[in-house]
Amino acid sequence: MHLDPILSLGIIFLSGYGVLKLINVLKIPTVTGDLLLGIIIGEEILNLVSPHILSASSFISNLVLGMIAFTIGQNFSMERFRKLGRSIILISIMEAAGAWITVTLVFYFLLGKELYISLLFGAIASATAPAATVMVIREYRAKGVFTNILLGVVAIDDAWCLMIFSISLAAARALAVHVGGSFLLTSLGKAIIEIFGALALGTAAGIAFNKFSSSVKSSVGAQIYTLGFILTVIGLAIHLKFSILLSSMALGATLVNMKGANQRYFESIRSIESPLYLLFFVLAGANLELASLKHIGLIGLTYLVARVIGKAVGAAVGGLLAGAPANVRKYMGFALVPQAGVALGVALIAKADFPKFGGMIFDTIVATTVVYELVGPILTKFALTKAGEIKPRSTASET
Amino acid sequence: MKVRELMFTNVIYVTVDTPLRELLNRFSSFHTFPLVPVVDNGQKLVGMVKLQNIIDVFLPYNPEIIKMAPFMDEFWEEDIFSVDLTPEMGSLIVVEDIMDHNFVALRQDDSIEKAYQLLRMHKVQQLPVVDEDGKLVGMLGIFDIVLQVFKEKGIF
Repeated sequence: MHLDPILSLGIIFLSGYGVLKLINVLKIPTVTGDLLLGIIIGEEILNLVSPHILSASSFISNLVLGMIAFTIGQNFSMERFRKLGRSIILISIMEAAGAWITVTLVFYFLLGKELYISLLFGAIASATAPAATVMVIREYRAKGVFTNILLGVVAIDDAWCLMIFSISLAAARALAVHVGGSFLLTSLGKAIIEIFGALALGTAAGIAFNKFSSSVKSSVGAQIYTLGFILTVIGLAIHLKFSILLSSMALGATLVNMKGANQRYFESIRSIESPLYLLFFVLAGANLELASLKHIGLIGLTYLVARVIGKAVGAAVGGLLAGAPANVRKYMGFALVPQAGVALGVALIAKADFPKFGGMIFDTIVATTVVYELVGPILTKFALTKAGEIKPRSTASET
Repeated sequence: MKVRELMFTNVIYVTVDTPLRELLNRFSSFHTFPLVPVVDNGQKLVGMVKLQNIIDVFLPYNPEIIKMAPFMDEFWEEDIFSVDLTPEMGSLIVVEDIMDHNFVALRQDDSIEKAYQLLRMHKVQQLPVVDEDGKLVGMLGIFDIVLQVFKEKGIF
């Protein structure tokens, strides 16, 4: 007998509330808590998630990722770039690209995977998890140049990840189709349309948004107006086979660069985000096939190691280009190990788009996320200590 | 009626280079920390300081940097009682470091109907008023507008 979907939702939200209370004690990020909750109440253990809801996973993930991409789009303003500064921009681009390239190459050459599978793994590897990093910084009250650069890097890095993933996804589709026998130029053309079409759609929607926004007179109106635009852009992107992530991001980026008090539209959707995020991560956990974990041993391990190397080398190169202090070049990569929300989200897209092997990608990312979220904060603390920005707790014993 | 006719012009404001210590001193006799406009040396309105900005001083980093990052655990309240702040921070931190750079302001030629709408929409009690050059010229609150309406109805 299957649970009623609404009862199932009730269980998800109430147990999600329990997780919220528990994580304060356990000191793990909400994302990890929700993900573990999803695994526990999923089909294979407690079976409390209705199949109706499970089958809506891709619907919910498109919705949530579109909203996240919209918010992340705000990063693309001159004021924001000026505030973050050159070193943060350079280091974040290089560490994201470093993980992307390293993981792609290692999967292609060492593991002998197809190029399009390798590209997808590489692209997912570029994401980081700001929540875990900020938690460590808060807990140990880290302070200084390294900490400031680290915060800036984790704040903007997901914007690069979404771009890298969108491009890789389009390329992977083209390559996968080509393997199937189609003409390469046609599939590459499709990839280019997927990307530029998305940018055009998001920009056009942003201009329309701004043009009619003077009619918005209340905060409820602002919320409905904003959500309406985001949903329309996501829906059109799906219909036209454009990148959902890039079109929503372009919508956010267009708005933030237009004159007017657009800040409130970004804030207006804040209040509805939390329940959607909870649902999104619980479903991500519930989607995990526990049996497949046995088969991802080597892939998972390779991914875990290659990503960290890519981040460390990328951050070092970025630091060198930016003329950052030695401790930033040496240790920044290790502070960027946590992986969570964005990586899971884009992995869900890969799963939905490539039914044959997407499941394997998704299961690997879920499993490595759990590992990274446990090991990541320890490495972040290590990096911050090595950089000399965590003061020893007991100053009394030193005097 | 225009905003300029109803706003109060005797505004308490601070400049961007005001140190934290002086800021706290100036408002220590208030019942609570009010919404304070921040101006640059040319009297141009460049930011706003509210109580939350003062509480954010307890954070080890500038919260504006990570505002746009997804999936942040916002409910992680800072334990202000266990934070070690050094006395020098009173003079090292200036208003520019803690103020909101993004803010909404009224124009003095706006109608009070529009002002009321803006105040309600942004869910704030008060907003600063600027002239054509962006210079701070006054403040207007919901209560001022409500009083005016009562006055027109002969109640007050």
